[in-house]
Formats: sequence, structure tokens, C-alpha cells
Amino acid sequence: MTGTASTKLIGKRRQNPILRFFTLLYKQRTLVALCILPMALVFVFSYGPMYGVLIAFKNYNAGKGVWRSQWTGFGNFQWFFENVNSVQIILQTLKVGVLSLIFTYPMPIILALSLNEVAKKGFKRTVQSISYIPHFISVVVICTMLNEFGSVNGLFNDVRALFGLDRVNMNAGTNYFMLFYIGSAIWQGAGWGSIIYLSALSNVDTSLYDVANIDGANRFQKIRHIALPAILPTTTIVLILNSGNILSQDFTKILLMMNNTNRMDLEVISTYVYRIGIVTGEFDHGTAVNLLVSLVSLILVLTTNRIVKSIDPEQAMF
Amino acid sequence: MNKTNAAVPKKAVRNKIHIGGYSFDIVNVTFLVICCLLVLLPFMRVLAISLSSSRMIDRNMVSIWPRELNVKGYEIVFSNVTIYRAYGWTLLYSVVYTLISVAMTACLAYPLSVSDFVLKKPISVLLLITMFFSGGTVPSYLLIRNLGLKNTLWALVLPGAVSAWNTFLYRAFFKGISHEIREAALIDGAGDFRILVSIIAPLSKALFATFSLFAIVGMWNSYFAAMLYIEDQSRQTIQNILRSIVYTSVTATFSDASLPMTNGAVNALNVQYACLVATIAPLLVIYPFIQKYFEQGMQVGAVKG
Repeated sequence: MTGTASTKLIGKRRQNPILRFFTLLYKQRTLVALCILPMALVFVFSYGPMYGVLIAFKNYNAGKGVWRSQWTGFGNFQWFFENVNSVQIILQTLKVGVLSLIFTYPMPIILALSLNEVAKKGFKRTVQSISYIPHFISVVVICTMLNEFGSVNGLFNDVRALFGLDRVNMNAGTNYFMLFYIGSAIWQGAGWGSIIYLSALSNVDTSLYDVANIDGANRFQKIRHIALPAILPTTTIVLILNSGNILSQDFTKILLMMNNTNRMDLEVISTYVYRIGIVTGEFDHGTAVNLLVSLVSLILVLTTNRIVKSIDPEQAMF
Repeated sequence: MNKTNAAVPKKAVRNKIHIGGYSFDIVNVTFLVICCLLVLLPFMRVLAISLSSSRMIDRNMVSIWPRELNVKGYEIVFSNVTIYRAYGWTLLYSVVYTLISVAMTACLAYPLSVSDFVLKKPISVLLLITMFFSGGTVPSYLLIRNLGLKNTLWALVLPGAVSAWNTFLYRAFFKGISHEIREAALIDGAGDFRILVSIIAPLSKALFATFSLFAIVGMWNSYFAAMLYIEDQSRQTIQNILRSIVYTSVTATFSDASLPMTNGAVNALNVQYACLVATIAPLLVIYPFIQKYFEQGMQVGAVKG
């Protein structure tokens, strides 16, 4: 009996791996069938555009299609750096991205820590519910509001008048752009962003607080030594994920905030890609710039992750 | 903190000892109340302007409370077929997108949750690549144009239907339920399709509800894709109707607004803000009922991340 069993086992082990793969594939044909449609969507709509990226290296001709258009090497990239005020666009992109990250990133953390100190459940729930509302507002609605609030008779100018400042059109020019852009991002995202921190804070062992009380720790010390360490892993992950977005701003919002007085000054890479690549129809130029951004963003994520890893390997994402 | 609840000994210890605790609480609560006011004031302003008389708006007499009640703006918006058509199409885009997205993601995530599935590795890698690299706006636009999807519902619905991130979240959820159940069902003679439809799906109702709501709200609020792909104005989404009346002109969309606007019965802001309210009202009405699911969804993401 044992003899036959072992020969059978050896026989199985010697089976051609390709043949075994197809036997398994046949056995699991229902599972394979389930994957076909969704994977077809992934191939067409995610991998299709990746193939289309090739036109960054070509002189794209719609009649010839992607493959038969003529190769131009790095000509499209060169074109961007030579013919456009590329330096200004890149600087503006970095400015918007870095300032947004600096100012929007801490807000959900502050809000979560503050909410965590509230003992009255009802009050806490109410504040949370209210703080999420702006997240459900579309960018068109936000920009419609900014448009009116910043106008001479708008809400923001009413506030300015309250402090004795004169009324100005805050939508014209670039003076108030950063304030509006970042302020609205905080207004929309702080409450919503605090959810994941609050859920991390809810897992804190309450006995830590009791011990801290016996040691006579004050509220700030408790936040500093109990709450902050509890959310540290989450803050790190959010930072890594956000660092990849420095170059890809909310360009749909910037498009809506542009007007004739500031269009050129507010241009960032992503609005430029849209304007050149789609509105003007220079597909190859737009794609080349877009490809640069994608690559730099990827490098940014990997670098941030590497930095985090070198400081504390446990906090890194991958 | 909890000052009244002295009966609980642990809380009592916490209260007695915290130094400067009350002043901290006062500052903290004030901060949160100010945050809430900052969230709510813009909405009150919008409502106030939309409901005030043209005269009061022009004289800048409206702050956050309506003056000389005037519902003409709402009459214009809701007497026009445009708004109902936009509601209808936006709802259709949202519902079709949600159904396709949830069904396709579930179909893909279930095989990936089976531990000895042959194609698990290659499919996971293919999905992972899409998380870190994408073709970008222009190639996607060209693709949709070349496929002849412009001006169709599919241009809005198909591209984002299956995302790697969501698939991995679904898979994590399925893994939590399916292991022994699947084996038992296989022994009972059920096929994998049957297991997915009549065992896994009913157990994942909360998951589906959460992601459906994410999808519906996302679709309701998006304007860019519809702006790119939908050229037929009569099939435009609600956000783009709002965009066109704010950024081009009120009368181009609501032609019956031109007479009351010239004779001063209604201000352009009345109409714009009435339309803004019409855009956000459906979401705000269902918000209290769906809030719970959204928080759950965010937490699913947090666990995975």
C-alpha cells in the first residue's frame, strides 16, 4: 500500500508543470470565468492608456494611430522645456503642492486629537457629523461659493469690512488664490480626514490614561505621550500617500478658479496637460508632460517610503 | 471631561488629578464650536442669498439671513425641464456606474480571495501596477474617443469601474468570511459561482452598501469626465448645469430667467444659488442615513492601509 502511494506521489511530482497549470486552470474554470470581464475592463481602461503613453515619444498622427506614428525620441519633452514657460509652471506646481501638503496635512490630526479629548459623546458625534458635510460637496459647488464669497459684495469682503479693511475683488489676480485653494481644501477635508485618526485613537488602551493620571500627567502630556504615539503609524501612511500627490493637484478646482486676470499665473502642470493635450489637441506634447509627472510622483512616493524606512522600518508601507 | 459621572471610580481618578483640565476643556470645546460654525456659515450664506430679494442683494444687505423673502430663483430653476433632465441623467449615470462597479469588483475579488487560485499571483501583480502608474489624462481621452464612447454613458461608467484599491479591500473582506464556508459548500456540491451569489454576496451586504454609496456620491459630484465626454447638453450632469450657469450665463441655460432678471424681480445670484441648493440638496437629505456607512468604509480602508 505505502509503495503504491509513494509511486503515485512521485508520479504527480514529475508531472509537467505546464500540464499541471492547465489542469488546475480547467478545474478552476468558474473562478477564471469570473475574472474575465473585470480584467477585460482593467486591460482596456488601465493598460490601454499605458500603451497610449507611447505617443509621448512620437509625433502623433490620429490617422495613423499610436503604433504607426513616427518616433521622435525625446523631442516632445524637449519641446516642453524649450518652447513653454516651463520653469514658471513647474515652480507654481511645486508651490501649490508643497504648501497644500504643509497646511492641509496636520488639520485632520489636530481635529482628531481635539475630538478625542471631548468626553460628552453627544457633542462629539454632533461635531463629527457637521465636520463631514463639506466632503460631500462637489468642486463645482465649492468654486461657485468661492466665486461669490470673494467678490466685492461677497461674504469674505463682509468679514474684511468688519475689520475695517476695504472691499477688493479677491478672485482677480493671484493674491488670494493660495488662501482660497488651501482654505477650501481644509474646509472640505479636515473633518473627513480625521475619521481614520479617530478610529486609531479609539483603539488606545484606556488603562494607559489611568496610569498617566496616577503619575500626575496633564492633558498636553497625555496627548503627547499617549494619543500621538497611537496615531503615528496612520500619520506616516497618510504622509507617504500624500507625498505622491505633490505634483498632481486638484486641477479640476484650479481650472474653475482661473479667470482672465490670472490664467497664465495659476497654470500648473496638470492644467497645462489638459489645456495643451485636450483643448488644443497637441496630444503628444500633453502626454509627454503627463508622463514626466507620473514618473516623478512615483519616485516621490518611493523616496518618502525609503526615508521613513530608514528612520523606523516598522512604519514604512512596503 | 465627564464631570458629572463621579460614580465611576476610574473616571473620578482621572478628573481629580488632571491639572488645568477645565480650562483645557473650555478652550477645546470653543475651538470645536468655531470649527462647526465655519462649516455651517457658508451654507447659511448660500441659502440666505438664494431666498433674498434682488434689491437687498444689490444693496449688499444680506449677510447670513434672508431679507425680503423671494423664491423666484427656485421657481425659475424648478419650472425648467433642464434641472429634471439633469437629475435624471445624473441618477442614471450614478446607478449604472454603481451596479457595474460593485458587480465587477466582487467578481474579481472573490477568486483572488481563494487561496489556491492559479491566477492569483499574476492578476494581483497586474492590479498592483495600476495603483502606481497610470497612462494619464490624454491617452485615456484618446482611447475613449477612439473606441467611439464619446457622448455615451459608457465613457463615464466604464473607466473607473474596477479599481485595484477597491478590489483589494473587497478581497480582504471576503477572506474574512469565505474560508471554511467555501470548503463546506464545495463538499455540498455547490460551484464557485453559486457560492459567490448565494453565500458570499448576502454576507457582504454592508460592504456593498458602503461602496455603492461611495460610487453614487462620487458620480453625483464629478464634473470633469462629463465635461470632456458628454457634448449633448440635454444629457449633461447636474454639476455641469451648475457650472455653465455660474461660469457662462444664467440665461443660456434658463431662458425664462431673462425677463425677471431685466425687470429686477430676480438677481442672477438668486438663480445660481437656487441651482446650487438643488445640486447639493439630494445628498444633504440622504446624508444622515448614509453617514454610518461612510465611516465604516473609511475604517475598512484604514485597516487595509
